[in-house]
Amino acid sequence: MSKAQSEAAREHQVKAVFLFNFAQFVQWPDIAFDHTTSQLVIGVLGTDPFGSFLDETVKGESVNGHPLRVLRFQKPEDVVGCHILFIQIPKNEQLREVLEKLKGRHILTVSESTTFIKQGGIVRFVKENNKIRFQINLAAAKEADLVISSKLLRLAEVVSN
Amino acid sequence: MLIFASSDPDRQTFWRRIRKISLFCFSFSVASCDLYAQAQQESAGGNLKKLSIEELMEVEVTSVSRQPEKLTEVASAVQIITQEDIHRSGATSIPEVLRLSPNLQVAQLSSQHWIISARGFNAGFSNKLLVMIDGRTVYSPLFAGVFWDAQQVVLEDVERIEIISGPGATVWGANAVNGVINIITKRARDTQGLFVTAAAGSYLRGQYVARYGGQIGSRTYYRVFAQHNNRDNTFRSDGSDKDDRWYITQAGFRMGVEASESSSFSIQGNVYSGTEKTLPEESAIDGQNIMGRWNYAFSETSEMSLQLYFDRTWRRDIPSTISDELETYDLDFQHHFKWGSVQHVVWGLGYRLMEDKTQNATPIVGLVPQDRNMDLFSSFIQDEIRVADPLKFIIGAKFQHNEFSGFEIQPSARLAWQVNSRNTVWAAASRAIRAPSRIDVDYQLPTYDVPDGVPNVDGGPNFDSEKVLAYELGYRTQLSKKITLSLASYYNIYDDLYSVEALPNTVTYQIQNGVEGNSRGIEFSGTADILPDWRLRGGYTYFYKNLEPKPGHIANTAVLGNDAENIVLIQSTVTIVKYLQVDAVFRYIDQLPEPLVSDYFSYDVRLAWVTKHWEFSVVGQNLYEKRHIEYATEQTAEIPRSIYGRISWRY
Repeated sequence: MSKAQSEAAREHQVKAVFLFNFAQFVQWPDIAFDHTTSQLVIGVLGTDPFGSFLDETVKGESVNGHPLRVLRFQKPEDVVGCHILFIQIPKNEQLREVLEKLKGRHILTVSESTTFIKQGGIVRFVKENNKIRFQINLAAAKEADLVISSKLLRLAEVVSN
Repeated sequence: MLIFASSDPDRQTFWRRIRKISLFCFSFSVASCDLYAQAQQESAGGNLKKLSIEELMEVEVTSVSRQPEKLTEVASAVQIITQEDIHRSGATSIPEVLRLSPNLQVAQLSSQHWIISARGFNAGFSNKLLVMIDGRTVYSPLFAGVFWDAQQVVLEDVERIEIISGPGATVWGANAVNGVINIITKRARDTQGLFVTAAAGSYLRGQYVARYGGQIGSRTYYRVFAQHNNRDNTFRSDGSDKDDRWYITQAGFRMGVEASESSSFSIQGNVYSGTEKTLPEESAIDGQNIMGRWNYAFSETSEMSLQLYFDRTWRRDIPSTISDELETYDLDFQHHFKWGSVQHVVWGLGYRLMEDKTQNATPIVGLVPQDRNMDLFSSFIQDEIRVADPLKFIIGAKFQHNEFSGFEIQPSARLAWQVNSRNTVWAAASRAIRAPSRIDVDYQLPTYDVPDGVPNVDGGPNFDSEKVLAYELGYRTQLSKKITLSLASYYNIYDDLYSVEALPNTVTYQIQNGVEGNSRGIEFSGTADILPDWRLRGGYTYFYKNLEPKPGHIANTAVLGNDAENIVLIQSTVTIVKYLQVDAVFRYIDQLPEPLVSDYFSYDVRLAWVTKHWEFSVVGQNLYEKRHIEYATEQTAEIPRSIYGRISWRY
């Protein structure tokens, strides 16, 4: 593996573990789950940068009785039963459309796209000083009926669109 | 004044003078690296998952960075004080911060002086600890202890402090007999922007800090800082002013250049100057130091660092009547690499030249010769072998040559058994030495020849290094994602410890190696995230020692340490609403046996209102009693209850 490749891999390994962590700091409304022991799904929409790492990370883990599972989606229409969604699509213009389709679905949307927050996304990863930080759009989270723990908010940069 | 020239010697005063030298004694050490971060570049895998979200935010995503090794994988008794712990404690100086480590006994002797020890031997001579700031050794070869008053660090810019109790001699070097304190400040690129803080109160009269971090081009980061600290007096037992108020000003910088993917440079330095009220007149300290470091990665599994520093520190100490100027030149090289699929080797070479110049204000007491140049050559090698997947065997040795005791070997062997991802059992056996310091060898009382029959101290011409054989057994567990616990136990066998003894049939005393004995203890510590916004950390330390003069020797073993048998520490940090922090630190220190100091309990409380750019806080320190005593000296200080307010601004 070349150095550049391994670095990219490293960055996404860290992000994958962040996604896993988010599951523990976000409270979904009851209706987001079929029943109290149903799966908590981390979805990847578009290009999957994580390889098998995300699956390995959540393997055997559960949060508040919900076993974690990773699902991959090609189109926004495919997204069902998802709680956290990492979005990586090539064209920024499509983002708004995608987010529009996910509206009111109780999904914590996550992306690296620079315009993500502006377009109504909830969490955006930012690379800062070689470390991974994140921004949270509190208004968008509220709109999705998600309660984000104050601990996560403290670590995040809280922004608005 | 010339009591020892008189024909009617006052033994008491004599011993008092011997002890007094210990007051002068507070500080020394050997260069190094980031402890366990030092090593591993193994594939990331499941390790990341074990990190807390805060730790995750600190993970660097380029491959030049060192893989953070989980605490649970280290085969030694390590305590970490993080930036968050420091910030939330309300501590205003490095010694106050070190109170947060339950495996240290921290005693404030006066407004200016502290003694800090791990695993016993808390005395003015506290000399079995290696202390480093960013790899620069700060213990003084004058007495092998640390002058804590001269160790100024902008606390906001500290990344973490690692405290290893137990011998760390193999990798770390001389003086790491009972522990290593490694103060690591943030890199320049992690301290970007402006930070200003001002605090003032009843004991902390003023603390003013300004730091600015910026960037030049895309690869170079820097910070510059200045601070001024002004502390009030402590009290005598009758409530009067102990005349020990002091102030110190420091300025410095740090710059980091990421020259390429595999190469980085850093350079840092600082200057300081302080004035301390003492009787009959003021004492003074000042110093300058500069350090450069080059890190180069040959490949993902092989990296070296080359470090060079110069440090000058000077003090005119009126109470001890001795002035000291020490200039240190230090060169340190380290290389670690993966060897085959199961071995990881770290080795290094170092050279240090210490030019020490003292001045004796009176002939009553002093160092003879006044000036001394001391060389220290060192090399070490350590191999970490992954015997089977859960079993790691670490073996190594340090080879050193010092001015006084010559060639010394300090080997260690460690075994870590990672039972599963949450449980680690470890064991270690090590030998370490405390090399002689000038106070052991060159100390003369008085400095001129006296007739027979007049008591005098004639140095320690035959003083050899103090030695320890240490056996450790530890267990570390992560009960859940929220609770971690660590237990370390040890049994130490000491030989050739310091003694002051009369030569046969004379009243001429010499410093000898006349004491032996053993010590044992337990260090229990843990952290618990009880609620998302409520964190507890702390620990309990038990210590017991048994020292005796060796056969044929007559020595007072009490001078070697006045140690507490039990120490308890609890730090609680609570965030009530997003902006409001309510924090406290509670500590209990058992009584000190000789001279007797009562046990004490005290606590600090911090209330803070924190916004993105502003922080307002009020901190009460040592709140339990109006005044309390932490250590007995010739002039015991009572440490007052105090309070201060702080305003900080970061942008």
